[in-house]
Amino acid sequence: MPPIVPDRAAPNLIVASVVRTCLGDGAATFTALLAGVDGRAPLRAADPTRVNVAYGYHLPAEPVRRFAASDWLAGCVSQAVRTARLDLTRQRVVAVVGTGLRELTAVEEFALTGPPVSPERLHFGPVLRAVLPGLAEVITLVNACSAGLHALALGQDLLAAGDADAVVVAAVDGMTQSMLAMIGRVADEPTDRVRPFDEHRRGVLLGDGAAALVLVPEDAATGSETRAATGSGASTASVPDGRRAAGPVPLGRLLGTGLSCDARHETAPDVAGISRAIRDGQARAGVDPADVDLVVAHGTGTALNDPAECEALRRVNLAAGGDPLVTAVKGALGHTSGTAGLVNVDVALRALRTGAVPPIVGLDVPLAAGKELRFVTSARTAQPRLAQVHAFGFGGVNAVSIIAGCG
Amino acid sequence: MSRIVAWSLHLPGDRPATGLADGRTLAVGGATPPERARDLLGRKGLLYKEPATLLALCAVHRALGLPAGHRPAVEVDPGVAVVACGNLGNVATVAEVTRTVAAEGGRAVSPLAAPNASSNVVASTVALWFGFGGPNLMICTGATAGLDGLAMAALLLRGRRARRVVVVGAEPADEVASAIHAAGEYGHPLRAGAACVILEPDQPDQPDQSDQPDRPDRPDRPDLAVPSDLTRDRRGVRLDVLATGADWPRTPELIIGPDGWDPAAHWGDGHGGQGVVSVALAAELLAGAESTRPDGIGVGCGPVGGPVRRALVRPASDGGGRG
Repeated sequence: MPPIVPDRAAPNLIVASVVRTCLGDGAATFTALLAGVDGRAPLRAADPTRVNVAYGYHLPAEPVRRFAASDWLAGCVSQAVRTARLDLTRQRVVAVVGTGLRELTAVEEFALTGPPVSPERLHFGPVLRAVLPGLAEVITLVNACSAGLHALALGQDLLAAGDADAVVVAAVDGMTQSMLAMIGRVADEPTDRVRPFDEHRRGVLLGDGAAALVLVPEDAATGSETRAATGSGASTASVPDGRRAAGPVPLGRLLGTGLSCDARHETAPDVAGISRAIRDGQARAGVDPADVDLVVAHGTGTALNDPAECEALRRVNLAAGGDPLVTAVKGALGHTSGTAGLVNVDVALRALRTGAVPPIVGLDVPLAAGKELRFVTSARTAQPRLAQVHAFGFGGVNAVSIIAGCG
Repeated sequence: MSRIVAWSLHLPGDRPATGLADGRTLAVGGATPPERARDLLGRKGLLYKEPATLLALCAVHRALGLPAGHRPAVEVDPGVAVVACGNLGNVATVAEVTRTVAAEGGRAVSPLAAPNASSNVVASTVALWFGFGGPNLMICTGATAGLDGLAMAALLLRGRRARRVVVVGAEPADEVASAIHAAGEYGHPLRAGAACVILEPDQPDQPDQSDQPDRPDRPDRPDLAVPSDLTRDRRGVRLDVLATGADWPRTPELIIGPDGWDPAAHWGDGHGGQGVVSVALAAELLAGAESTRPDGIGVGCGPVGGPVRRALVRPASDGGGRG
């Protein structure tokens, strides 16, 4: 069935991207990804013997505690707003926060021994308003593992509608006991690592993560002519020759994000639904599927996701004559749930800027369904111009973003 | 601004709306409670569905005007989006799983509860049940979630991501949800209930795209769950959700919310679904007495001491639906 015919979205500039994963900030994460580092550690978010999950991908030195996700998010958003030089007293800035698990850790504590948590602490409006009182609105969007890219889509729509001068698109998730228990319950035996797109994949493991980026209209940032061509990914107003940029430094362009819901199954992915999101994203971006150079895939290492994702890529990108590189990060970072899409965006931005494409950690023997795809199994240099970023979630919620460099 | 083409109030219990500002008594009693949802939705497919999900399904079922006990066999319709609003729909599952793990270990947890561990279960189940394949959002912003969700629905229409958005607000009132709600000190107890508001683009500003040749929503399609023209027998109503914190452009004569006739004080607090409940109520009042309220009805909601969100529900200027 054909999708809605969208108007082509106006591109937006991404002028800040801040990430926290088990491997560190965005720059450290990208460096580690290129080196093939695996960030897993023995699970400490819950008792491994009780939840049947042995490993997790924890943020460094972070204890498991109440409202940790709020703190991670606030840190990322504050840094992104500073980097983008937003003036909340003069600009109408809206924050859209994607999450899968909210602050359900507090509900879990209440269920056992703790005090009741106020409903207003389950979402992220109060914590962001506390650190950034000038925010015009804070929307908490709870869309499972594709929440970050759903937030990105709404952020772009808010700018297109003229409802904001800039949008902070953020995401956060920390591991909860209840979700760990569900992962452990549906696995015959605990998987020892995440193997995206590997023939011998045995399931997913969770990771903590937080991310925030800033979107502005194309004409709002004027620093592109002085963009620092470094691989650090840090947006900076100072450039090597001493000139001062007049505005925040663009990291890349968001061309469009496609959304769909499978409406087929509660937990099993559907190729048709995924394909609709990919096509919608490409149509909104105004790009030919054959022109996509790089796919930063969802790649959960589960029995059902990976073949479905491969088939959707085959039907849409390959059928149109495309032959993109395909990479994925969950083998190194775990599944950061609602944050996963924005982590993928950060990786795509760095790959577009530097030409370095990280390998899929954990992929040794590509699965049969992906035999036509060019999986990246060791770090390589390329010159991608267009990246396609995937995020899919429970309930069949699919989101696909198309990102371009600023070169 | 968007057009409300259908709505429903689904508030089980024996507390009908009385004392409305316009002197009417609204018959909202008699709604099917979640434990008897099969009476309305049919017998199959409801196992392990939580009360909030069941209430949401009932509200959408009624807004669509579907007969009791009938679940249509449908193709997936990518032109219809879903926005669900609520905060407490799955906290009972989260608490139960946590307690089970602590007491008996993870093997004692039912895998059938897995979808309920994800907080977007209400939105995704509505999509699955009715075949809505467009964008699917779950808005959890506390007391303003209902109006925030309606604002996001309007944004989906403006972004041409859907031709129709089904907005549903739903909250349960189980022990866990009620205890958490009580910690918020909202002044009124939590009440289980749901409401649905179905939005389409406001036609003068955003022409319907259904004439495009590759659109999936041709009116002669017999296999979609949603009637092609929901406004056939009802007057259209317009909705304008104001920016968070924005005050009324002109104070409406009738306000539904803490600043006026407050449904929470009469029916109990619908919390994250309250904005949708209040807008559906306003639509119902306007549909019954449009000529007496040319300026529309205001709706407001928000947490104590927190940001307030407001909306205006107005009669359609052309006085009629598309049918």
